[in-house]
Amino acid sequence: MWKTASILIGIVLVLMTVGFVMLGSTSGVLARSDTVGVGHFVARQAVWIALALVAGAVAARLDYHAWQRLAVPFGLLALALLVMALVPGLGMRIKGSRRWLSFGLFHFQPSELAKIAIVVLLAWWMKRQGRRSGSLVHGLLIPGGILALFAGLILGGPDVGTTVLVMLVGGGVLLVGGARPLYLVVAGAGGFSLLTLAVLHDELRMRRILAFLEPEAYARDEAFQLINALYAFVVGGTWGAGFGQSLQKRYYLPEAHTDFIFAIVGEELGVFASLGVLVLFAGLFACGLVIAVRAPDPFGRLLAVGLTLMLGVQALMNIAVVTGSMPTTGIALPFMSYGGSSLIVSSVMVGMLVNISLHAGGMVRDEDTRAIKDRTHRW
Amino acid sequence: MTERGQIGRLGALAFGLALVFAGLGVRLALLHLGPQEPLRRRIAATRRHEQPILVGRGRILDRSRHILAMDLTVNDVCADPQALLRDGYARFVGLHLARLLDLDPAWVMAGLNQPERQFFYVERRVRDDIAEEVRRLRLPHVWFRPVSARYYPHEHLMAHVVGFSNHEGVGSAGAEQRMDRYLRGRPGVRISERDGRGVELPSRRSLEIAPQEGANVYLTLDIHVQQMVERALDEALERTRAVGAWAAVQEVRTGRILAMASRPAFDLNRFNESDPEERRNRVIGTVFEPGSTFKAAVIAAALDLGVVTPEQTFDCESGLWMHRGRPLRDYSPHGVLTVADILQKSSNIGAAKIALEMGEERLERAVRAFGFGRPSGIDLPGEEAGIAHPRRNWSALSISRIAMGHEIGVTALQILNAVCAIANDGFLMQPSVVARVETPRGQPLYVHEPSVIGRPIRAPTARRMVELMARVTEPGGTGRRAAVEGYRVAGKTGTAQKPSRGGYAAGLNVASFVGVLPAERPVLGIIVVIDEPRGERTGGAVAAPVFREIAAEAVRYLGIPPSGEVELIDPAARARARRETEAGRDPGDAL
Repeated sequence: MWKTASILIGIVLVLMTVGFVMLGSTSGVLARSDTVGVGHFVARQAVWIALALVAGAVAARLDYHAWQRLAVPFGLLALALLVMALVPGLGMRIKGSRRWLSFGLFHFQPSELAKIAIVVLLAWWMKRQGRRSGSLVHGLLIPGGILALFAGLILGGPDVGTTVLVMLVGGGVLLVGGARPLYLVVAGAGGFSLLTLAVLHDELRMRRILAFLEPEAYARDEAFQLINALYAFVVGGTWGAGFGQSLQKRYYLPEAHTDFIFAIVGEELGVFASLGVLVLFAGLFACGLVIAVRAPDPFGRLLAVGLTLMLGVQALMNIAVVTGSMPTTGIALPFMSYGGSSLIVSSVMVGMLVNISLHAGGMVRDEDTRAIKDRTHRW
Repeated sequence: MTERGQIGRLGALAFGLALVFAGLGVRLALLHLGPQEPLRRRIAATRRHEQPILVGRGRILDRSRHILAMDLTVNDVCADPQALLRDGYARFVGLHLARLLDLDPAWVMAGLNQPERQFFYVERRVRDDIAEEVRRLRLPHVWFRPVSARYYPHEHLMAHVVGFSNHEGVGSAGAEQRMDRYLRGRPGVRISERDGRGVELPSRRSLEIAPQEGANVYLTLDIHVQQMVERALDEALERTRAVGAWAAVQEVRTGRILAMASRPAFDLNRFNESDPEERRNRVIGTVFEPGSTFKAAVIAAALDLGVVTPEQTFDCESGLWMHRGRPLRDYSPHGVLTVADILQKSSNIGAAKIALEMGEERLERAVRAFGFGRPSGIDLPGEEAGIAHPRRNWSALSISRIAMGHEIGVTALQILNAVCAIANDGFLMQPSVVARVETPRGQPLYVHEPSVIGRPIRAPTARRMVELMARVTEPGGTGRRAAVEGYRVAGKTGTAQKPSRGGYAAGLNVASFVGVLPAERPVLGIIVVIDEPRGERTGGAVAAPVFREIAAEAVRYLGIPPSGEVELIDPAARARARRETEAGRDPGDAL
């Protein structure tokens, strides 16, 4: 299993490198105009990458079984932080959203932490239920309730993108964990109906959806980013405009260095680079699945499934938004977008996956590994 | 849950997501590689930034480099009515602007009270010092747009020759119009791309064509001579209460115009407030019946053809001659006069008889040879050709009328140029006002060289004719008041009745005097025309004194030596001068 893990790590390092280099290309424009130094974004991202690598290494060293014991306290911590971000005095308001907690030097997005918490909690819960996982109460209502609680708090951000993301990933973990598909479909439909209702009451989100459906009509405001992201790929063509030559990053794409960095990759480096990034994410996803399949115990598998889905679906959602295949939501591209919370959390997830794969390959031996062979852990 | 079931569900999930991956891959490939050329071109077109690099207009200068027309940076004061109304500043800002810019407050308020507009010119072309006062107030939603405006430092002076360029920067009159293609220069262009905020990206300039600055135009005119002329005209207007007056000074040998003035005039800086009559350059743009000044050309031609000699006599019929059933009158009655005296005393009857001696064909040829009936080709717009009917349209009386300067329409410049030709050994020169055109760096683009456009009479006739004309300003001549102390002036008076419906208007005259000096070696030609003088009305009484005023100042300013014996210090040079005189430099002695 070392092979899978090293491929996974390799992919992550390549993505981080490409993201960092593209950040250097895009943020220069922004930095000069925002009265921060040219190296402002690059320097901060370098620090984040260093921290993320350390965090990932620690997570890879930490026996993943420990997360079973941490699941509940960690979940409670994430919930508390989510609530704090929504409290006017404590949370920070940036561009009309309350998604951040300020820690002096940097801002932290609790929803990022919640992503790990949800995966750990649901994996822990479903593993504990064993044969009961098919029942309505234990297989759907309780874990679904936990999920809905998190999703509701994230939606209060408001952060529709991340809400959809955790609902999809949570549903995936429940499905693999043994919940009945019929229940899941019904619950999922209900959840998305509620979400739709919430969106219908939010004018900004509604306009974003309308802009997605009819970009030309909203070309000057809501669909401005969307259309310009599409233009980036079109202008990029086969070979790209050349590194550093993007025109879209010059105030046509306001979030060129964060959520829309993929568009700049397409514009500057062309079709092979953007397909290459997509393939790397597909590879990451495949590695995660392999690790899940070979996981030595149910918790490990569910955890691996959740983490893999979380990374893969997030990447897919970001690329879907940038290519105009989905309404605009503020979802970062893992490992590539500028921003510390996302980068560190994504690294930790990869570290956890690596740890699972090391157990699966028998490279790590400990009590839990042996425990797998006892009756309670029989498949 | 069995392991198999779990793997199966995992597989289903993986399959679903793999489909999404594949779908996005296709989407990406389509975006990148699809048939997007039209869209690509459209994107490039909206991002293209094409910026003209404007250049200033060249200057107009007189022959000693005094600036007559130049570009000046001024400010258009602009406001955003919509924002002003939204923020409730409209009244406050409007009142301040009206006060500082000296505008009607009601008008400014009306302009600012347009909620649908985001742009309004409060005032255009505001001088820098006034703009600075407004700027100091830091009025919200008010800004300035620097534009370059044409400025004419000498205002009225030489207005008709310099002309003006309109507010779009296109020369619309005078030298500004004629030399427009030199003055305007050629704007350059810069092609690059713009960023999302519309700002040009210097790093993406793909093409830059440097502009060509407007060239400077040097006129042949001299502002000092021009000032003399204009002052004299203004005084004459006041004295005679005439409706108009115009005058020109020309260099006899080269045809260059040293001064050209017309009244009424206007301030070039406010050309838009003037009316067309004020803007007309009457020297070249007003056609009038010249009257007696025309006799100079007729008699010169007759002498040249050998039809008459200066000593030949004609009976001037004591002032009334019935010719072909119609009376022909002289201003004052004369008996038998020589040709020389006919010119000196300006006898109409005598001139008519000389013309009859010439015959219609030769008279017409002479009229055309002196350049009448066609534009002189001076480098100014708006020149009239005059009216010289072809012989087949003449009546039986035409020949006698043309001889005395009626039934023919001329411009002052045509008369002046014809008389200068007589003074210039018979060479008709091309009159010009533009001496040369230079780039701002001094590279010449156009240089005017004097050129001969005709030879109406031979040199000996011309010299003799000048001597005859010199007698006009001597005792017994009609132009005595044109005499300049120390200089012999050769000239001719003219007094023509103004034609009106069906005949001539009683009491309305065009009085003129045209002359050259010094008579021995003419340097300057000057014409003065007074339109509808009141009181005294003859050219000799009204125009000749103006001529003298101009000539007396001009010869001193231009350093033209006086006539007569010049005390030379070198005896040898004096002897040489005498020998030259005896050798025939002075052909008029016979008279």
